Amino acid sequence: MSEPAAPQEPVAAREPVAAPEPAAARPGSTRTGPGRVLVAVYALFALSASARAAVQIATKFSHAPVAYLLSAFAAVVYILATVTLAVGSPTARRIAVLSCSVELAGVLAVGTWSLADRATFPDATVWSGYGSGYGFVPLVLPVFGLLWLSRWRRRAGIRRPIVTSAEEASQPAGAGGPVPSAEDVAGPSR
Amino acid sequence: MNGAVPTTIIVAGLALAGYALLTTVRNRRMGVGLLIALGVLEILLLVEDGLIVAKLASGPHPAGLATLIGYLIAMPIVPVAAAFWGLLERSRWGAAVVAVAGLVAPVLMVRLHQIWPVIRV
Repeated sequence: MSEPAAPQEPVAAREPVAAPEPAAARPGSTRTGPGRVLVAVYALFALSASARAAVQIATKFSHAPVAYLLSAFAAVVYILATVTLAVGSPTARRIAVLSCSVELAGVLAVGTWSLADRATFPDATVWSGYGSGYGFVPLVLPVFGLLWLSRWRRRAGIRRPIVTSAEEASQPAGAGGPVPSAEDVAGPSR
Repeated sequence: MNGAVPTTIIVAGLALAGYALLTTVRNRRMGVGLLIALGVLEILLLVEDGLIVAKLASGPHPAGLATLIGYLIAMPIVPVAAAFWGLLERSRWGAAVVAVAGLVAPVLMVRLHQIWPVIRV
């Protein structure tokens, strides 16, 4: 009854209407909902950055050692963010926040450094020019990552505000008092 | 090398991304239509892979051969990975994952051209 009824148009009978936002429907995880897209893009960057760094370091390391080492560092950060966002446990979320923060700091620092000191960067890294070689996705991605993670943390802090209609129905009508949350029952998760 | 296949891939990728984004905006799950479109993109990428391998086998190599081989391996994985990852998501965001794959395909074509200019776009 509290579910907002999606405007049902005739076409809805033929095409499956997506489930409501996982955020509202179930506890979910950082890998569901919009997180699914984040993990996909992070995986893409993890793959491309690590492959690129591996080729650069293996074939022409002396050409631009600083740039290639930074590429490798970026690759590690992307892999870490991909895995932790996909796992989504409280610990993983904390590491993901760290990874995204390092990533944002990295793209800002390396972006500035690459513009100020072009001699050190004869070849580009993922983060050169604030990720301009990658359509500035490296600059935007950690911002979305941190936004998504902060939204998640807020939701965890509210302590499961969403009660499904099934749970509501199973509660005795008179039990208006505070119901122990799952966290209280299972022990604190942090 | 004829640029028809890469051009087709760029157009197909952008069309797929548009279709998938429309699905996301309309709050629909990914359906059979998106899966078929991903399949078409997969076939096109495999054809392009085959053309490049044939070109490599016939003699000339680019300077960044290792990178090119990496792209040859990664290219066909993109639509397959997007299909699996998108199908896991039972909300509008599954289609958004497919949109990412659609946008990656044109980027891959442009990068292939940069790695080996004989691959025309």
